Amino acid sequence: MAIVGPSGIGKSTLLRILGGFIKPTSGEVRLMGKKVTSPTPKIALIHQSIATFPWLTALDNVKLGLKYKKLSKEEEDKIARKMLEVVGLQGFENFYPKQMSGGMRQRVAIARALAADPLVLLMDEPFSHLDELTAEGLRQEVYNMIFNEETSLRSAVLVSHNLTEVLELSDRIFVLNNRPASVVGEIKVEMERPRNPKSKEFQQYLDELYKLLTPIPKKIKEDGKND
Amino acid sequence: MEKTIDLFLDILATLATLGRVFITIVLSVVTGWLLAYGAIKNKIFENIYISLAEVFESVPVISFFPVVLIFFVYEIGGGLGVELAVIFLVFTAAVWNIWMGIYQAFKTVPEHLVETVENYKLGFLGKMSKLYIPFSVPRIAANLIPSFADALFYITVSEVFTVGVRTYQVFGIGTLISNYVAEGDYGDALVALGIFAVFTTTVTLLLREFASYSVDRYGLDTEDTHLALKRGRFRVRYSSRLSSAKAPLVKLAKYVNRPISRRPRDAIEDEEKRRSFPWGKLGAGIGILLLFAMAYSAFLVVRNVTPSTWAYLFSTLPQDLVEIGVDYLRVAVISLASLVIAIFAGYWLARSHLAERIVIPIIQSISAFPAPAYFPLLYGATYPAVFNLLHGYTNEFYVLLLGFISTFYYVFYSYWLGVRNMPHEYWELMDNLKLSFWQRMTKVVIPSAFPYIIAGLSSTVNSAWGGLAIGEYWPDIYNNYNLEVRTGLMKELAIADANGQLALVGWLSLIFAIIVVAYSILFTRRLMDLARKKYVAEEGIYSA
Repeated sequence: MAIVGPSGIGKSTLLRILGGFIKPTSGEVRLMGKKVTSPTPKIALIHQSIATFPWLTALDNVKLGLKYKKLSKEEEDKIARKMLEVVGLQGFENFYPKQMSGGMRQRVAIARALAADPLVLLMDEPFSHLDELTAEGLRQEVYNMIFNEETSLRSAVLVSHNLTEVLELSDRIFVLNNRPASVVGEIKVEMERPRNPKSKEFQQYLDELYKLLTPIPKKIKEDGKND
Repeated sequence: MEKTIDLFLDILATLATLGRVFITIVLSVVTGWLLAYGAIKNKIFENIYISLAEVFESVPVISFFPVVLIFFVYEIGGGLGVELAVIFLVFTAAVWNIWMGIYQAFKTVPEHLVETVENYKLGFLGKMSKLYIPFSVPRIAANLIPSFADALFYITVSEVFTVGVRTYQVFGIGTLISNYVAEGDYGDALVALGIFAVFTTTVTLLLREFASYSVDRYGLDTEDTHLALKRGRFRVRYSSRLSSAKAPLVKLAKYVNRPISRRPRDAIEDEEKRRSFPWGKLGAGIGILLLFAMAYSAFLVVRNVTPSTWAYLFSTLPQDLVEIGVDYLRVAVISLASLVIAIFAGYWLARSHLAERIVIPIIQSISAFPAPAYFPLLYGATYPAVFNLLHGYTNEFYVLLLGFISTFYYVFYSYWLGVRNMPHEYWELMDNLKLSFWQRMTKVVIPSAFPYIIAGLSSTVNSAWGGLAIGEYWPDIYNNYNLEVRTGLMKELAIADANGQLALVGWLSLIFAIIVVAYSILFTRRLMDLARKKYVAEEGIYSA
């Protein structure tokens, strides 16, 4: 599923509430019926600014996701290598992030998140710092990557400004708008995968999204002043 | 009535001391602007200036003592000579942070702003007043707190110094406290310390406000790129921005962000230079003159020392090396203790915003309060208990303690800054991946803060030398007790000073300077290069 909305509306905040990083002032988040009160590896966050540790190799970066499980070194190594393979980075295990492109670094971050056996993946504009060609390539692969049979993932929540990206990847889209922010619409995307952005159906969904995202006109008071 | 006069005297003496500190700071800032401008305009001057500054920065103030004695006290003489000697000593303690900060600021003025002032054909004064000086204000403000602390540390011991049988002193709080303690007038000494503490705390808090204000007023939005990462998680206004407020960060910036090399616009500038005042040539001239003056003074020193004195000096070399070895051991103990405490306390503070908002200003205020001023009283109050516990090692303990309290601040503050400047994504990841405390420390926090730790340790090592210089030989520290270690180069230096053996003082200072510089080149810089190459947390965040 995806969350879209104008800048500053609170999409990333909502994502962090879902992950237990920020406590909601009201309401609660539940995962498999259990209340989420703090960050957990079961809900993994992928950052907009691609975050890797420059002093660790790709393999060691991925191993960090396994630390909480307290596995043996051999097991850690095996799982981390498998996850790098899942994201297409076989052969790059000993590379440092600085030696990798932005797209490769984001794959490392995804592999690290997947290594922790998450049930939910939260993705905060994960492709926004990549050039369009790389982002396009990664988008095509990411669905198969994260819902691979090797992973434990059941759901992914994507925050994005890129409506094409959202329609390509999501089955449900929640649109946030207004101040204070509220969900102004929910769209169920029932297109077959892989989705073709040039298809008529895709364009219809796009139009629907644009309508929901169009700025709400401000009310004009009787004296003519803005509300 | 007498009490009122005493109080008045204390306040006057505090103002005199603070006045001296501010004179040195103003001098540092003004000379810093001119030197930095010369450096950005002329490559030769820049190379000489920066190399010399880096060397002098790593040499403790004590090494300047012979120069001070020979030149100011003997050549100029009288009250003025002593006054200038004190100001010069303090100047050498405070100037480097400020000079380096200004140079770094001038080197990193954004290209588009430089092009704009070039475009409007602003002259030297125009460029300085409209661009370079305002741009350097946040960095100067940020460096005022550590420079103020450094200057105060040395001023309280510089106000009174003895050479042979003669004691030289100027009016100030350091002299006053020293006299009170010497006369056994501990109550008055405490009152004077209290008044001094009120002033230093007020000044430190004002400097914090000024640093914060200057970033808001003169900082560029674009400077915030790495700080912006913290938005939403840390209260940047409270400490982080000010946090640039520390020498190690400036040093770090010097290493992490290498100053941009000669810019293409310089080609056009060369053409412009022919028509304007030749600042570049003037800079080169000053640089060459400086080198010549140093070479000439070295020549004079060598010529004036007789062969028999040289023979004597060389014969002391093996013992000198043993003594410096023992001192390095002390410095290592002090640095290690500071580091271990800093690593835990710094992390805890960076995690707890409330504690941080309370504790950091307190630590800053305490660190600005010079240890040598209150140390005799601390010594007097605790000596019996410590002696019962440590017996023969009591003095060693006090010397290490003085080193520690003079220096802990640097590594602590630097490390804390490193932790605070960690990208917020790392905090979220550590929480998300449920890393244990040790995993956090070893995999993320310490590597992230590594460049800061190295910069802080380097400052710590230098300040620890200052502490040893004062503590290893302190006759009549309190009630006829002498604080004195068995072996140590700093003790040897102090005794040679006290006996007026200037040749030996010069010789020991020279050996010391050579070893300190070699240590800096072989050890500190290598670690700094490693930090720059591998441990820059900002590089772990990819934001195209």
